[in-house]
Amino acid sequence: MNMSHALRAEWTKLRTVAGPAWLLAALVTLTVAVSALATAAVSCPSATACPVDEAKLSLTGVQFGQAIVAVLAVLAITGEYSTGMIRVTLTAMPRRTTVLAAKAGLLAALALAAGALAAAGSVLAGRLILPGHGFTPDRGFALLSLANATMLRAAGGSVLYLALIALLSLGISTMVRDSAVAIGIILALLYLFPIVANVVTNEQWHRHLEQIGPMTAGLAIQATTDLSSLPISPWAGLGVLAAWAAGAMLAGGLVLRLRDA
Amino acid sequence: MDETIEVSGLRKRFGPVLALDGMTFDVAPGQVTGFVGPNGAGKSTTMRVILGLDAPDEGSALIGGRRYRDLRCPLNHVGALLDAGALQPSRSARNHLLWLAHSQGLGSKRVDEVIGQAGLESAARRKAGGYSLGMRQRLGIAAAMLGDPPALMFDEPFNGMDPEGIVWMRGYLRSLAAQGRAVLVSSHLMSELQDAADHLVVVGRGQVIADTSVANLIAAASGDRVELRTTARTEAMTVLARAGATVAVTGPDAATVSGLPADRIVALLTRNAIPFSEVSAHRATLEEAYMELTRDAVEFRAAEADGAGEVVR
Amino acid sequence: MTATVTPARTPRPAGRDGFAQLLRAEWTKFRTVRGWVIGAVVAVLLTVGLGLFAGAGGSSSCASGNGPARSGAACAPSLTTGPGGGPVTDSFYFVRQPLAGNGSITVRMTSLTGELPDLTANPANQGLQIPMRAGLMSWAKAGLIIKDGTSEGSAYAAMMVTADHGVRMQADYTQDTPGLPGALSASDPRWLRLTRSGDTITGYDSADGTHWTQVGSTRLAGLPTTAQVGLFTASPIDAVITETFGGGNNGNEAPSQATAVFDHLGLAGSWTAGAWSGDYVGGGNYAPGIGSYHQAGGQFTVTGSGDIAPIPSGPSAPGGPSITITNLLIGTFAGLIALIVVATLFITAEYRRGLIRVTLAASPRRGRVLGAKAVVIGSASFVAGLVAAAAAVIVGKSIARRRQYVFPVSWATELRVVVGTAALIAVVAVLALAVGAMMRRSAAAVTTVIVAIVLPYILAVASILPAGAGDWLLRLTPAAGFAVQQAATAYPQVQALYTPNGGYYPLAPWAGLAVLAGFAALALAAAVLLLGRRDA
Repeated sequence: MNMSHALRAEWTKLRTVAGPAWLLAALVTLTVAVSALATAAVSCPSATACPVDEAKLSLTGVQFGQAIVAVLAVLAITGEYSTGMIRVTLTAMPRRTTVLAAKAGLLAALALAAGALAAAGSVLAGRLILPGHGFTPDRGFALLSLANATMLRAAGGSVLYLALIALLSLGISTMVRDSAVAIGIILALLYLFPIVANVVTNEQWHRHLEQIGPMTAGLAIQATTDLSSLPISPWAGLGVLAAWAAGAMLAGGLVLRLRDA
Repeated sequence: MDETIEVSGLRKRFGPVLALDGMTFDVAPGQVTGFVGPNGAGKSTTMRVILGLDAPDEGSALIGGRRYRDLRCPLNHVGALLDAGALQPSRSARNHLLWLAHSQGLGSKRVDEVIGQAGLESAARRKAGGYSLGMRQRLGIAAAMLGDPPALMFDEPFNGMDPEGIVWMRGYLRSLAAQGRAVLVSSHLMSELQDAADHLVVVGRGQVIADTSVANLIAAASGDRVELRTTARTEAMTVLARAGATVAVTGPDAATVSGLPADRIVALLTRNAIPFSEVSAHRATLEEAYMELTRDAVEFRAAEADGAGEVVR
Repeated sequence: MTATVTPARTPRPAGRDGFAQLLRAEWTKFRTVRGWVIGAVVAVLLTVGLGLFAGAGGSSSCASGNGPARSGAACAPSLTTGPGGGPVTDSFYFVRQPLAGNGSITVRMTSLTGELPDLTANPANQGLQIPMRAGLMSWAKAGLIIKDGTSEGSAYAAMMVTADHGVRMQADYTQDTPGLPGALSASDPRWLRLTRSGDTITGYDSADGTHWTQVGSTRLAGLPTTAQVGLFTASPIDAVITETFGGGNNGNEAPSQATAVFDHLGLAGSWTAGAWSGDYVGGGNYAPGIGSYHQAGGQFTVTGSGDIAPIPSGPSAPGGPSITITNLLIGTFAGLIALIVVATLFITAEYRRGLIRVTLAASPRRGRVLGAKAVVIGSASFVAGLVAAAAAVIVGKSIARRRQYVFPVSWATELRVVVGTAALIAVVAVLALAVGAMMRRSAAAVTTVIVAIVLPYILAVASILPAGAGDWLLRLTPAAGFAVQQAATAYPQVQALYTPNGGYYPLAPWAGLAVLAGFAALALAAAVLLLGRRDA
């Protein structure tokens, strides 16, 4: 039994139930919808200078889509524990690390594919909506375009962000085994760092919180303006999220190997 | 290829409970080995250890001389049905078998073969969540047979089956053994195994109590009795007792005789001109043999029906 | 062969079927699952822990001028307090005389002009000379004032003309009553009068000097016999604040000034025939003592800068770490997440193993079952929330005081915030129960509730969205419930940033909680309906 068998088996599992397909569809549509709504809510009145990061604004929906990606990853492993099917899986594929790696690879691939659609849709919505709200080229706001390297970095980075969120979620779920507790922990990790940082008045602590939080650091990849005032540079921020995901996967793999099924 | 399942010295503790306490036995090919014991004796735990799902504190479990996790494509070596309900309810039975097949490098052709063998063609594309218990058992058997393995393990496969299903299952198990496979079937009900098993491993409190053939076990049980109906009960008792039998009175005209074979009893009664209306030999059932054997190993026993309703340990 | 024995029938005690028994059953179900009880305890610990973390996050070090670097509470701004106990700004130019006893002062104002700093010209230009241009701050003010001495933070009452808000009577920093509206000009002057009778000060205004209207009357408790009375001019600091997410704000600010022209000055009562003296009241970092007056005949021209107003909390607060008790309750989000998980599991766990069938067989009145569950989980969450919020506020304040300035609030407000937080948590738990009952799948329910509550909050507070859009999120989504935690008072007479980022919610506290409760009630009703219709 090797990786290709495991991949094929896990892919068959994913495609023969309705849930994942719906979740991926929701990921794309709702991310684009939230992005479009956020973009439409902002306008730049004619007399003022607007300190708005167009690219980041148009990708706002990712903050919602990450929850859907997390749920997809959580269910991919906790569903097996709740039905007892994990024993069937581990009987057929006793190399547990390989099983986890196969699940991870598939989830990341799906997150990348759906995320690319979601990001592209969000950027398109921004391109269409922003000029009508006062963000025109003559005021210094270029039309959103993926040909622009910075915009590409923001959008492509957002896709990578979603894939890393999937891996982070998979790792945590493998450790916790219960779907509700897993999603609670994941959403807390994501949403609590920025919320707590908001009220910490010590500038150093504040900065550090934003540098280590998976969502606050990871979303730095979306910033295209005012980069010097970011707590962490874009790629370094994504790297922080990657470290979180790697840590979670490692811990999850250990727990899977050492515990009884 | 012949494969024997060898279990040796397994020990495992779950918190305060010692589930396995030196479990040792072999499952030989070509016969159905019944794995019997009261609830909580360690049968399911043993099977999970064999399959590498639970790690034992001590001891080893080998299939054809190798550990489970060292087997490539393990379903080609051992097929197991542990829990028929371990399914995703929203997935069809065919797709469940399909992913299992893919994990071993097999294809949909093989899936359709085992579906046919298990008699599930009409229901294969329905969601497994809607299956009855019997259908789920058949699905589990189909899954176990995917790799055409020389060794098979079934954990309480008769649970919840209707009489027709039980008959089918017995025949199926025998046919598997006749093909030369090693078949391990666990159960806590003897009547199910009576006509299916050839060899028995009786366990209790995490240990093997008896490891012998069914015939030996029954013969060893002190259950050979003869029921006697006669109008001259007292004379019959005297004659038989003088010949060395033990007679117990069970009614005004009835008695139970043990210690003498039935034909000897008939000869004695005839010679002494004692009339009788019935002499019937009562063979011990597997159930009686088993009950006697495991009397001390039973952990949970309901109180006698005297209305108190308490549980006595 | 044993004879069969028929078991005797023991008489059964009659059971009782009422809501109280159902409550007891559901409470037993809850407290006997160790994981759920642990979850509730974790909720309390997280709430308190994160709150203490926020309280302890005072500034690490700061330095002013050539002085040594300081840390902790020494960095907290030392703010003047007014008679009400809250922090105030008290700086203005005062042209005054003592008044020993009762009396009145009347004046006519014909002009109010001013100068504003041009902050956009050179944004990084702090400390250097900033070019000024003509213009008035919205709340530039000038008029009559009677004050208990000239120390900062002392009691006062004033009748004034403001740049954009007409005539107003203000007293003791927080009181503000409008008078005649309209802009001031030479052709449309304003007459102002203050009369003192013992402790009571009454303010009047008029457009023509003959017909007077009383604007308001206030009592300055403990006003000494001799008070300082006269003319004043003040103009608040001009600040351009951009908020960024995470509470940081880039501020650029400089003083402004205003000049008022008074004439027809009339005194009555216990005045001594003294001379007017003009000087600057207050100071500190924010009013570099701009001010002067010039008297020519009966006309006084008074120039001043500064403000006589309360200091609102939030990004507009003077530099230095400051915190409100709302910030100390930031852990509520963590406690909410934990209790959402527990409340959802409380219902979805019944569906996992078919326990729901046992439950509904024991109690066929399905609406009551859900109601009992709601009461149990709501009460448990309320108690947990109460303990957590009280601990976070009480312990958090004592920790925070050592490191930063804690905006004071009345005990009534504090009680409302703590009890309101507990109620908020309880309502969210019931909402989670209802959503769990509808969806029957725990991960989806937990995600839905958490996202519905937390995401609007993040989007509104983050200032990615403009204030209007953020406010609508905090009015229409379940996140409206957080309004009950607001401890900051928005003062209309102070121009400041009253945004969710600073702790100002668009809805009144209990109104916000009512919106959240509405969502929960709707969800519960829908859940009861669905539970009644569906197969178990």
